[in-house]
Amino acid sequence: MMIAAAAVSCPAAFSPLEVSRARAAPSPAPDLAVVRGPSPERIVASAIDALGGMKRFVSPGDIVVVKPNMGWDRAPEFGANTHPAIVAALVGLAVEAGAKKVKVFDHTVNDPRRCYRQSGVAAAAEAAGAEVSFVDKRKFKSVRLGGQVLGEWPLYEDILEADKVINVPVAKTHGLSTLTLALKNWMGVMGGGRWRIHQRIHESLVDVARKVKPTLTVLDAVRILTANGPQGGRLEDVKVLDTVIAGTDQVAVDSYGATLFGLRGRDLGYVRIGHETGLGNMNLESLDIRKIIL
Amino acid sequence: MRMTSLRWFVQGAFLLLFFFLFLQTESKGEDTLGYPVRFFLDFDPLVFLSTLLSARFLVPGFLLSLVLVVITVFLGRVFCGWVCPLGTIHNLTGLLNRRKKPVLPPGARRWKYLVLFFLLSSSLFTAQVTGFLDPLCLLIRSLTLFLYPLFQNGMEAVFSAAAEGPVPFLAALAEAFYNLFQRFLFAFREPHFHQAVFAGLFFGLIVGLNLLERRFWCKYLCPLGALLGLLSRKAVLKRSVGEGCTDCGLCQKACQGAAIGDDPRETIPSECLVCFDCDDLCPAGAVRFGFRGGEKGEALHLGRRAVLLSLFGGALAVPLLRISPQSRSGLFPGRLIRPPGALDEKDFLAHCVRCGECMKVCLTNGLQPTFLEAGLEGLWTPVLVPSVGYCEYRCTLCGQVCPTGAIRPLKREDRKRVKIGTAFIDPGRCLPYAFGIPCLVCEEVCPTEVKSIWFETVTVIGREGREEPVKKPHVDPALCVGCGICEHYCPVRGEPAIRVVSTGESRSKENRLLL
Repeated sequence: MMIAAAAVSCPAAFSPLEVSRARAAPSPAPDLAVVRGPSPERIVASAIDALGGMKRFVSPGDIVVVKPNMGWDRAPEFGANTHPAIVAALVGLAVEAGAKKVKVFDHTVNDPRRCYRQSGVAAAAEAAGAEVSFVDKRKFKSVRLGGQVLGEWPLYEDILEADKVINVPVAKTHGLSTLTLALKNWMGVMGGGRWRIHQRIHESLVDVARKVKPTLTVLDAVRILTANGPQGGRLEDVKVLDTVIAGTDQVAVDSYGATLFGLRGRDLGYVRIGHETGLGNMNLESLDIRKIIL
Repeated sequence: MRMTSLRWFVQGAFLLLFFFLFLQTESKGEDTLGYPVRFFLDFDPLVFLSTLLSARFLVPGFLLSLVLVVITVFLGRVFCGWVCPLGTIHNLTGLLNRRKKPVLPPGARRWKYLVLFFLLSSSLFTAQVTGFLDPLCLLIRSLTLFLYPLFQNGMEAVFSAAAEGPVPFLAALAEAFYNLFQRFLFAFREPHFHQAVFAGLFFGLIVGLNLLERRFWCKYLCPLGALLGLLSRKAVLKRSVGEGCTDCGLCQKACQGAAIGDDPRETIPSECLVCFDCDDLCPAGAVRFGFRGGEKGEALHLGRRAVLLSLFGGALAVPLLRISPQSRSGLFPGRLIRPPGALDEKDFLAHCVRCGECMKVCLTNGLQPTFLEAGLEGLWTPVLVPSVGYCEYRCTLCGQVCPTGAIRPLKREDRKRVKIGTAFIDPGRCLPYAFGIPCLVCEEVCPTEVKSIWFETVTVIGREGREEPVKKPHVDPALCVGCGICEHYCPVRGEPAIRVVSTGESRSKENRLLL
């Protein structure tokens, strides 16, 4: 995977002049909050705070799904799965905002038991008050997508029935689609012969993303995987950025995510198609992006 | 409390322990299981002895099996009467049989010794066939391959029928029970096995013999019973019959082990299961078990000719088992992908007792019993079938549960270097190669730290003449470990476009691919 390593080690997004402080005067919520800091819990809290607080997204009594990427049998330090503390922080905030129930699950690639356990996500999310469950094959229900490529596809019932969906992907390289960010994370709610979508992955991901409609997307870039993704396994492929990118527009989040790897949003097929079909906005220059360093 | 009540209690406790450990032979996502799941096998002196002969190898649990040897030398076949889970199943099934009189003549007792000699003779000539008939291997294998899948698949069918039925109350009840079963009784992944029916028939036959005669297997066939019988000949705990005996013959009929001779006062120690049935039953209260007295029945005459014949038969069975070409060195059946840590094929077959533990514990259900892929000698040994399940890259459970070291327990770091085969791409079926359609699923799921599957981007010209870039996968044979996840997830179903064969497996010095 040829990702410019220089760009990765120092994300262009953080030139010190641009940084606004967390204590800045209240203003209308930005499109994206990009927060960097050593504590995963605190950068999540700060990002959500910048976007207007969790109460903006979760109403009391809501059933919320927090969807991490924990598809791989890898320990947290390898950056193949969403950071457990990031997931836990979001679960905690949702519970605090009055969610009736917060569900956490993923349709994993490796053995689910090992993924849930070794990723550290299951234990962390449970401790934060989530209901963590393995995917139950009976719960994939065929739904009409009416998309560019996917007419109908089995999706996971819990995500369709949730009042609010929070997507918590992790930023990694991916052979076929170059990067896996927020949109790619929806493969984890797909059933059926989901590997077939690789034939037209970009259109398919946009088709599914349009159906799922997350309330909030928080991209975990605490550790990003710069080679041998999406599974990784070598610490030298992991770059520590201590960053999260949060927003309500999943295309915008992914477009920003691309810059962490020295790419532009338009370099990614699903971002471009998502933008062109009105799913979201990939033009970062037209977005209000609040950058915070803790 | 009567001794037989105590015995039933102990039998039940051991049977429950056995089932509990069986259910625990399953991952919770950790690197280890947390329970000594092969506990019963570790106590099995027949597994110990036959592996010692066939592989010249001391099984890891041999000290525990020596404990059973010592117990047996002093107390007789208490294992058979009080502990053996298969014995207890026989005991329970035998309750269905109202006929108490033996159908076979007393001489049939010697059959099991001949079975034992046959098996040990084969072992001595390096063929490990004991596992087919060792009661513990037989039971674990039958449970794993047949009974447990039957139970789970059957119950799931019942629950889903009720859940989809018209009665809401039943549907709710079924859902509640389903969750309960899922949590405590079901395997995480619905188990399915090749050979299940045959393993099941074999088990059914053996248990069904109880309808002919109670504990038929234990009396006439069980090789472990025979081994323990040989050790019990001078047991200190003995049955004795006192003055009050009226020759009523009740004890002879009730005896679980055919241990009482024509004279009810005589006992054959090697046949006595110390079950105390005769003690409890005796109307005169004349039977006693103790460390003193006791009249020995006639010694068991095995017959020199029969013994020689069974030893000879066991030896002769070895070349017969190896008559198919799989046993020729230098010939490697491509789809014979052995689990990681498996010994070189010849050694592997000398160790493996076909207990089925590795297949039970396999995360993906990918470890399946062979039929004739490994020759007759290899029947029911574990083989990875990637279409059913791949080998999880960081899992070492099969080696941890193997009772005989046929699959070595691997450390996590060593595990990464073990290669069980190599993946090969079939360009005629692979989407980018054959049709210019993007795919690359194999590359995504490839688990090695530096991916063993890489790709080149080539320009293909479509039917309309449009040029399009497509990524074509390639396998790096130096890195590929043969786990089969690529084959398992390949979207070309039926016959996947990437397939793993045993080529290059690190356990073999000959089956190498690269220089």
